[in-house]
Amino acid sequence: MHKITQLLHVLLFSFLLLTSQSAAAAEQEYALKAGFLYNFARYGEWHDSALSPDKFVICSPDASFTETAKSVLNQRSVNKRPITIRHIQFELEQVNRCQLLFISSASLSDWLSWQKQQDYIAENTMVVGESKGLIEAGGHIRFFIASGKVRFEVSPQQLQQSGITMSSKVLRLGRVLER
Amino acid sequence: MPLVILSPMTYAAGSLDDLDLESLMAMDIQVTSAMKRSQSAFDTATSIYVLSKERITHSGATSIPEALKMVPGLVVRQLDNNQWAISARGVASRFSSKMLVMIDGQSLYTPQFSAVYWETLNVPLYDIERIEVIRGQGGQLWSSNANNGVINIITKNSLDTRGLYADAASGSQVNIDANIRYGNDISDIGSYRVYGHVKDGDASEKGLVLEPNDVTQQYSFGGRMDFSTSDHWSGFVQGDITESKLGQNYRGVIDDTNRNITFTDKLERTDSRVMARLENRMSDSANQMLQVSWLNQSGSQTYLQEEFESFDVDYQMNFIYQALQLDWGLNYRYSTISFEDSLFLHSDKEFDNLQQYGGFIQAQFALIPEELDLVLGTRAEHNDLTDWEYQPLARLLWKPQENQVLWSAVSQSVRIPSLIEFNDNYAINGQKVSEVLPFSTGIEAIDEYHIKTYLNGNDDVEAETSLSYELGYRLSQQSWNLDVSLYHTEAEDVAVIDINPNVEQFYPALALFQSGQLQQALQALTQTTIQFDIVSTADLTTQGGDIVLSWVPADMFNAELGYSYNTFEYDLPENTFPAIGRDSTTRQIFAKADVHLFDSHNIFATVRVENSDAYLTENYTLLDLTWNWAVSQHWGVSVTGKNLFAGSHLEYANRQETYTIPNYIDESVLFKVTANF
Repeated sequence: MHKITQLLHVLLFSFLLLTSQSAAAAEQEYALKAGFLYNFARYGEWHDSALSPDKFVICSPDASFTETAKSVLNQRSVNKRPITIRHIQFELEQVNRCQLLFISSASLSDWLSWQKQQDYIAENTMVVGESKGLIEAGGHIRFFIASGKVRFEVSPQQLQQSGITMSSKVLRLGRVLER
Repeated sequence: MPLVILSPMTYAAGSLDDLDLESLMAMDIQVTSAMKRSQSAFDTATSIYVLSKERITHSGATSIPEALKMVPGLVVRQLDNNQWAISARGVASRFSSKMLVMIDGQSLYTPQFSAVYWETLNVPLYDIERIEVIRGQGGQLWSSNANNGVINIITKNSLDTRGLYADAASGSQVNIDANIRYGNDISDIGSYRVYGHVKDGDASEKGLVLEPNDVTQQYSFGGRMDFSTSDHWSGFVQGDITESKLGQNYRGVIDDTNRNITFTDKLERTDSRVMARLENRMSDSANQMLQVSWLNQSGSQTYLQEEFESFDVDYQMNFIYQALQLDWGLNYRYSTISFEDSLFLHSDKEFDNLQQYGGFIQAQFALIPEELDLVLGTRAEHNDLTDWEYQPLARLLWKPQENQVLWSAVSQSVRIPSLIEFNDNYAINGQKVSEVLPFSTGIEAIDEYHIKTYLNGNDDVEAETSLSYELGYRLSQQSWNLDVSLYHTEAEDVAVIDINPNVEQFYPALALFQSGQLQQALQALTQTTIQFDIVSTADLTTQGGDIVLSWVPADMFNAELGYSYNTFEYDLPENTFPAIGRDSTTRQIFAKADVHLFDSHNIFATVRVENSDAYLTENYTLLDLTWNWAVSQHWGVSVTGKNLFAGSHLEYANRQETYTIPNYIDESVLFKVTANF
């Protein structure tokens, strides 16, 4: 028994000196968030039904997010409308074609300054982000991390003002904000 | 010990498949680190079973031990309506099981004996996220005393338990079992919940030796507060207090007859615990965690007063660097134990506090990325009784295809002697003269006389070390999963009882007897004692395996079939007999079905066939059946039948034991109303 014990110790310490190629650590977080967006799309109700009747468009100016979302939501659909993931620039025409817009923390400042320039108020676009201040800046849902898990806070009033209602199935799982 | 976050098997292999909101919320954002952080159970090189919250609530269980009855490979034996003996891969008694039991990583193991007080372990079942059960060794990650397994009860983040919940149950064995919980947000930085529980339980119908007295009166109160100040810092504080008045029958030696006398008594216990954890996500690939906890258990009954207090600090860090995943941690535990000398117990080494400290390190390395992983780790821990102990392991995980895993492990685990083995002396049932002497005197008063007999702890007792070889295979198909594990464990320095009656001490009494002085001979016998010593000189081999087949043909139906086989075999030196369990074979067949009907109805059934000679009982087959009806969004009712078709059966009948007296376990029915707002 002692020999085995010794052998295991030698192996352990020699092996700590080894390294090899990398694993993508942040990808899981965006994969999970893409999964949440899919659920927000499924359980949200867009009052203006004329918008893109043949597809459901999820956009983000963050390429690392759209790449991950494409693989996670591949072949998915919302109310029989196939999901399209679009990598966009902040331009009014592009933003207006999105039913759901994800503002990553890397793109928050661009979003804020573009919004100011345009005097933009989201209509028929659900704005979801992950940075503090997003709701205050007119966003609808914000992800946060608690004990290593993705959670979200949501402002039903702001959603309503943008012409979207969220099902209670989602609201009861999130932190509901008064504003 | 801290932080195991193993996703249930259903999230394994292609884990983001169903994108169900609740499943997403249960998943960790990082896949960085190995076993002590998030990992799918499918990819774990351990024999693990995860009991999900859905199964716990569907089952109609009202306590943790009842919920554990649903875990294949775990042998859960009920001594009476309050007391339990639970183990995997071994034989348990009420006071010994060599299993480490934790709530959110806070150890409940008492150094006085090698088990936990299941009867006062109160965690609201509706607030449990999941229960992870590791069959077999867990010492390297989880600290000592986990030779036979680890049970980690993980409670929900209070963010997920906001609102009002209440339930009330009553039935043939329970007058009332009621729970209430309220939770809410704390501005935008956190959330909390507070809960209360009251139980008034009846006695069983039929006793083995005495009229049953296993009534329960229990009150609990507790709460938890979680906070996350940013995406990098989060933590929680939780606390709980449980007051219990438990009827029990037991036996002890308290007078000149030197024989076990049976008692009907009430045991009063107060169990409290507080813990706080701070977690820091240092980067996408590194985390650290600090946990501080305190535990107090005090018990009072006619012949025994005990108090156990423990203070724990744990630090842990996980990181990933290229293909290397590394976890390491440090731990410190300070315990105080006061076990007042009583008529049948005294301590001679006067240990009233114990310290334990050490650390672990574990590295997982992808030898072939996404296909072959090697895990190496060790734990070094110092304790006051046996100094430094080491628990190394090596595991290999081969994933030839996305849906298949073959794993193997070699590990060493250590159990530090309990104070009963090390420090305490117990008066046990006296030995009859006729059993000690090689001849009979023919005089009843002498032959039938019971000589005072002690079971003595011994500070030469060493830690029990077991070396385990394990092999496992998992297969995940569209609608079914297979999980097989096999093991062979060789334990050294196993505590056994040395029986040297020291016949020479009887010579004076015999001389008096031969010279016809009977009264004096009897008088001389009262001066004799037989000392049984605990020695760690035996070897123990346990081996066997578990097969669990789960089948999910449709959303509305899932089922599970399991078979476990374990053998337990001592290699005993001369003049010794086993202290814990006996040579035995245990077989278990398991079938479980969870059926949803018409949206609002659910039937949950578990059948267990227990076939074992370890507990001196007949084999038995049990059916537990629950019908849940969600009457509306807020209201639910359920009816549970337990131990159906088993009538009055014995699950535990080791009658030679000092102290415990079991009862027959009854069929019972429970009605429950649940409100959720």
